[in-house]
Amino acid sequence: MDFINIHLPVAGIEFSAVLLVLIGFCVGVLGGFFGVGGGWMITPALNIFGFHMAFAIGTPLANIFGQSIGAVRKHNRMGNIDWKLGLISIITSVIGVEIGSRVILAMEQAGDVGVIVRWCYFFLLAFLGAYMMYDYFVVHPRVMKLMDEQASNSSGGNGSAVPKLSDKLHKLNIPPMISFPASGIDGVSLWILLLVFLLTGFLSGFMGVGGGFVILPVLVYLIGLPTTIAVGTSLVTVLFTAAYGCFTYSLKGRVEMVAAVIMLAGASIGAQIGATAVKYIKGYGIRLLFAVMIIFAGFSVLTEQFYKATGKPLFQTFAGIVLMGTAIAMSSLIIGKLVIEERNNRRMGR
Amino acid sequence: MSLKRILSTALLSIVLVCTIPVVDQAARTAIASEKQETALSMTIDTKKLSGINLVIARMYNEDRVLYAAMVTIVMAVLGTVLAFLTDLVLKALGLEVSRISHRE
Repeated sequence: MDFINIHLPVAGIEFSAVLLVLIGFCVGVLGGFFGVGGGWMITPALNIFGFHMAFAIGTPLANIFGQSIGAVRKHNRMGNIDWKLGLISIITSVIGVEIGSRVILAMEQAGDVGVIVRWCYFFLLAFLGAYMMYDYFVVHPRVMKLMDEQASNSSGGNGSAVPKLSDKLHKLNIPPMISFPASGIDGVSLWILLLVFLLTGFLSGFMGVGGGFVILPVLVYLIGLPTTIAVGTSLVTVLFTAAYGCFTYSLKGRVEMVAAVIMLAGASIGAQIGATAVKYIKGYGIRLLFAVMIIFAGFSVLTEQFYKATGKPLFQTFAGIVLMGTAIAMSSLIIGKLVIEERNNRRMGR
Repeated sequence: MSLKRILSTALLSIVLVCTIPVVDQAARTAIASEKQETALSMTIDTKKLSGINLVIARMYNEDRVLYAAMVTIVMAVLGTVLAFLTDLVLKALGLEVSRISHRE
């Protein structure tokens, strides 16, 4: 079956237009909903389905840039963006990315670092996924139980007896302290912010990924942002880094423009739907879905590692199917939840 | 309850239908994957191209700065226009967004 194969002039290959739109749509939904770019999904998917690796890295950045514009606009309208924090994140992350990429270039001179990077990537995804799962299934019920107890004792508590990592960081009084009223943060040391964003930037540069999937948990767990504001603020960082990446990778001739435009047709629609869905799903629901998604992403990285070790293309194909399967299932789940919640709202006359 | 069943059946159908082109392309790529990845050529052969593909290929070959600027501008404009149109459709469907409360 040929699913409307088209010729891509820059990459010099025939590719299914339907698959491009589908990849774009799924990444758009996930990007708008989670505040990530989705390069971690598009790059391996395009490469596995026949793109040269150089184009598989560059082309997604152009697509992510285009899709993020509408999603940022929509999140801004919902009050989900802390522009002040976003600006600090962008500036500091860029420095971190530069340091990370220089470290990886220095390591490359000593030999093939692909194996090390993939293992780091896998353990990071597994750790973040496991931590978010632990938070959802262990910490969150404990906090809720405590809040119920405090409410029944009429003590007016808010569950603050369960210390959060972000609360501990906020207590570190190292001047200058900055407040973020849009996020409900009274004061956090600028040095803590610089250190955290430098680290996320470093990880992005070291592993060659956009970093949205690292920024979201960092904003939630270390900085203490409400999940929806973390999603919107993360998207701002993604938008600016993708814009820069789109231009520089195009300059190096690594962006397949026709493919990026076709993907954008699906991605723009998907990103709007994904951003709208944030309105209907509670913060902890977003965190759980995000945790499931990055655990599957980690599994696909592990499968890719097996491919590199054994040289059997079956593993690579399997990794691609796992990624695409996860993206399709997750996007369907988000759209399904959006439809059900909207339907319930209408029934209740809201 | 029946609505949920209809929705879950519809979602499952969408997932299955969406999976077809993925598996199709994966199978064809797996068959062709025995051949090594060729070295990347930084110049496009324009002999067999025509129309918009030819325009893009010429720009890519002759002026990379212009190509980069065009890609960036096209993505920005197209992203904005498509987002605007999708927004109109979503509004027509009653899925309008406004400032939300940030509940965890």
